Amino acid sequence: MADQPQITLTIEGVRVSVPRGTMILEAAKQAGVLIPHYCYHPGLPVAGVCRMCLVHVEGLPKLQIACATPVAENQVVSVFHPQAAEARKGVLEFLLINHPLDCPICDQAGECELQDYVFREGRATTRYTPDYPKRFNPVEDFGPDVLYVANRCILCTRCVRFMEHAAAEPILNVSERGDRAFIGVHPERRLDHAWSGNVVDLCPVGSLLSKDFLHKARAWELDKTASVCTGCSQGCNVGVETRQSTVVRLRPRPNPEVNAYFMCDHGRLSYRWMNRGDRIEAPLVRRDGALVATDWDEALRQAAELLGGAGGDVVVLASPGASTEALFLARRAAGDRFRGAFRVTRVAGEHPLPGVPRLALREERAPNVKGALTLGYTESFDRAVASLRNAAVVIVLNESLDDMPDAALAGVQHLIYVGTTLPERARGARVVLPVTIVAEEDGTFVNRDGRVQRYLPARAAPGMARPAWWALGELVAELSRGEPPATAAEAFAGLAREVPAFGGLSYEALGFRGAPLAGGVPAGATA
Amino acid sequence: MGYPHKPHPKETPVLSQYFGDPEARTYAGWVKRGGYEALKKALGMTPAQVVDVVKESGLRGRGGAGFPTGMKWSFMPKEKTKPHYLCCNADESEPGTFKDREIMRWTPHAVLEGCAIAMHAIQAEVGYIYIRGEFTEPLRVMQAALDEAYQEGMLGPNACGTGRRLDMHLHRGAGAYICGEETALMNSIEGKRGNPRIRPPFPAQVGVFGKPTTVNNVETIVAAVQVLNRGAAWYKGLSLGNPKSTGTKLFSVCGHVARPGNYEVTMGFPLKDVIYDMAGLRPGRTLKAVQPGGSSVPIINREEAEAALLDYEGCVAQNTMLGSGGLIVYDDTADMVYQIMRLARFYAHESCAQCTQCREGTGWTVRILERILAGKGEMKDLDLLLDLSEQMTGKTICVLSDSCAAPVVSGIKRFRNEFEAYITGARQPAPTLA
Amino acid sequence: MKATGTYQPVFTGARRQRLDETVARYPTRTAALLPALWLVQEANGWISDQAMTEVAEVLGLTPAYVKGVVTFYTMYHQHPVGRHFVQVCTTTPCNLCGAEGVVEAFLKHTGCGELGATSADGRFTVIEVECLGACGFATPVLIDEDFIEGVTADKVRDILAGYP
Repeated sequence: MADQPQITLTIEGVRVSVPRGTMILEAAKQAGVLIPHYCYHPGLPVAGVCRMCLVHVEGLPKLQIACATPVAENQVVSVFHPQAAEARKGVLEFLLINHPLDCPICDQAGECELQDYVFREGRATTRYTPDYPKRFNPVEDFGPDVLYVANRCILCTRCVRFMEHAAAEPILNVSERGDRAFIGVHPERRLDHAWSGNVVDLCPVGSLLSKDFLHKARAWELDKTASVCTGCSQGCNVGVETRQSTVVRLRPRPNPEVNAYFMCDHGRLSYRWMNRGDRIEAPLVRRDGALVATDWDEALRQAAELLGGAGGDVVVLASPGASTEALFLARRAAGDRFRGAFRVTRVAGEHPLPGVPRLALREERAPNVKGALTLGYTESFDRAVASLRNAAVVIVLNESLDDMPDAALAGVQHLIYVGTTLPERARGARVVLPVTIVAEEDGTFVNRDGRVQRYLPARAAPGMARPAWWALGELVAELSRGEPPATAAEAFAGLAREVPAFGGLSYEALGFRGAPLAGGVPAGATA
Repeated sequence: MGYPHKPHPKETPVLSQYFGDPEARTYAGWVKRGGYEALKKALGMTPAQVVDVVKESGLRGRGGAGFPTGMKWSFMPKEKTKPHYLCCNADESEPGTFKDREIMRWTPHAVLEGCAIAMHAIQAEVGYIYIRGEFTEPLRVMQAALDEAYQEGMLGPNACGTGRRLDMHLHRGAGAYICGEETALMNSIEGKRGNPRIRPPFPAQVGVFGKPTTVNNVETIVAAVQVLNRGAAWYKGLSLGNPKSTGTKLFSVCGHVARPGNYEVTMGFPLKDVIYDMAGLRPGRTLKAVQPGGSSVPIINREEAEAALLDYEGCVAQNTMLGSGGLIVYDDTADMVYQIMRLARFYAHESCAQCTQCREGTGWTVRILERILAGKGEMKDLDLLLDLSEQMTGKTICVLSDSCAAPVVSGIKRFRNEFEAYITGARQPAPTLA
Repeated sequence: MKATGTYQPVFTGARRQRLDETVARYPTRTAALLPALWLVQEANGWISDQAMTEVAEVLGLTPAYVKGVVTFYTMYHQHPVGRHFVQVCTTTPCNLCGAEGVVEAFLKHTGCGELGATSADGRFTVIEVECLGACGFATPVLIDEDFIEGVTADKVRDILAGYP
């Protein structure tokens, strides 16, 4: 907004300069002040109903709601003015008269905005005593994953506005009037929508809950790590939430360039695979007709031997869920005779979120299709499989090898399997290298719009598994084709040097919101 | 006219002169009484000229806010780049008020004529008359009048033969006091829940259907007809108190009076004369309290009522407000605690549920008052009520919450002894309905 | 529209025509919602979930949206009521003039027993309502579309006789 005139004002004694039209609540963030609020959300139209964000503006007799009051030149805003603090205390007291004291059994505890503000600014004791009844409405099952605990609802209407404006399908309403009001649905249409789970994130309290997450963990037990969703090629930014080493939840991470504040239900609920117990625990090599565990040095040595002696094509069957770094290093390991192929599951029918431009659950259900294409892999899996018996060496990278003719791999002598779990079809492999999944490593994916985005490890790798970029990097070094990268960042730097589309990019440049590829879509890629 | 009573000699019947006169309802009857002359005159003036006349007259909104009408009309964009709308607020739901109902069922053509004048002044071609759902007779009478007005060419694509398009439609409400709030009214016309809107933007910029809109009360609208007919100077001259309050006002006198009804007096008229001379107390009773402007204004005691002049400033001077002119009279038999509880129940029932303070506070106020009436109250409950009322005042999107607080605060201030009697047990608990 | 049980669409024939005429008065179809709901209540006596779905389809809205509006406005019935619906004002101005006695008289003479209940013969439902805007004519009572002024407890029985 470089062409918007700047307005300078003082908030809590801090002078800030923001574009004209900015609301005080947003301007306050720049001053380092979080003005308490419920109904306001930057991804939704302003409602101004909770009355929590009342602030004192010098010169005005009445308090103003910061979410809907635009900044004015030389305005002096006092968030913690006694009048404003008293008003917010009043709002909190009013909210608590009908809100049940469910904290011990409520999922939101520990990440509840009602708890947070009451502790900061609320009354220590209740005046709604001794025998006033609390409003009672029954719990409602709204749909596939969403439960509505009506008693806890503070009527902020974020959920209603999300369905109406972001999802463009008003499935939720406010029913009734006054203190009898609650969030309702019509019996003919439940909250069965590709993006419905976001209402649970938006709910400031424990009123809208995820059935999947119900009573599973306490918020303060969870670690949150920045990552990227692997559900499709949209590349929504997510936070992987773990309780010790179990992934218990995925939630969206804001990125204005990709997913705003939201993620779809398919991606949100696709995390259980991350907790699979049947992981390959150690590197394996073939000895006397069977696969036996060994150490990394031995496994890498044998794999390098296979590749070094290769007198023909090295086919890499890769999953479009492998990291960009791994895909690149697999190509390098294959050398001059590299032929890379992938396949991607496509589910017909995209599910857009109309309120956010260019956001949808995509048909390609893998996170790094664009990465694979940019690195020279083609979507020619079946053709590649048909030609496997002619290949000198076959490297399988993260591919599950499901739905393939059994015969396809039967004759392959020199199979190097790089993966997380060992499928039946790969039991004929010469070398098996156990690698980490997205939640256990650093790496990047390139989304369908060509945006390169980092993800971070949320938990330790099981057994002896190492990141695929590391294993392949070591392999490349063994083949005397360069120094092995010591970190994922170095691996990425190497890739950026060699592949023009990635020119100028680095982990530092990517940050946690990503950056676009340079140049256009490489030849031969699907749109 | 103190309809249904004969006019009292001290009244100034202007808007009410045809109350009870069935012929005035018809087009022919209305024309015979000078009807539609004001509209024809207005259509021969420019919109700006019409606005100036109304500004000059000092006419102020009669729905309760008292905002200068001419100034309100002047907020509409002068240059018309999109459709402009008029909404006539006939949602009359303020307890104690029953003037618009009379205006509509006795002089429906006055309402149509006034709307047409307003539409011309604000350059609107379409107007909606929002009539509350319970007003079955006004709905019928207004529809019949509307049909006549179209037939006679007063309205329609060629209003009064001037080539100007003036289309009006009735819109029936469905049971919500809050739809009398102008932005909630607009939402209701749009087919939404009757939730008041945050401002800015204001209706004159973004109103019904997102277009510039003016909302006027029925009484204001018909007063405009008289202003155009008889001139701004005449209207301005009708002022007994503060010169900023001009014209006449219908006061809907009700409650503990002998002759309830609408009494039309000049602005600044003494309140005590309306109560004692015109409506009269019931035999043997004395005056205890009054709300001169509907249930949302502070309750005043006898001393204040006897000193008050009925204009905007005069009521403020006696710690209350003119409001809608719904004049509720409480005599010495009135149980103030019970009635204030009943008023709180009204507001709790009507709260739209948007703002936390109103949604929860009105209900809590009711529960405290019910407990006091049940003999289970404590002295600290009174401080609690005052504190809650403070938090319910000046902090919400609309003033329904403030309106619940006003009778509570003023009631406790002036009739604390009655509350204390219930708390100490000096008075037996009162049974409440439901 | 999915046919559930014996639901008869409301907006056919003459009523559909009336709706279309109403829609033409507004720049959006949504604005015809309140009038449409009145038409449903006129036809069926109340507004069912299925009727809400029909209205939604006709006006291009979602059923949930329609339901949100129906539940906001208290004159729309969300369940069947007696053949005659009696609304008695008891807000303060009428309360001061004996409105609660009028309510009790209605409850007694209709046989309803309690507010909101329908009499055993299905003839009446009696409710208490907020200010009906006729405070000078206490106590006003709305029975179906008849607005009756000046009701006192002693007049109730005769009034009810007019509603078979």
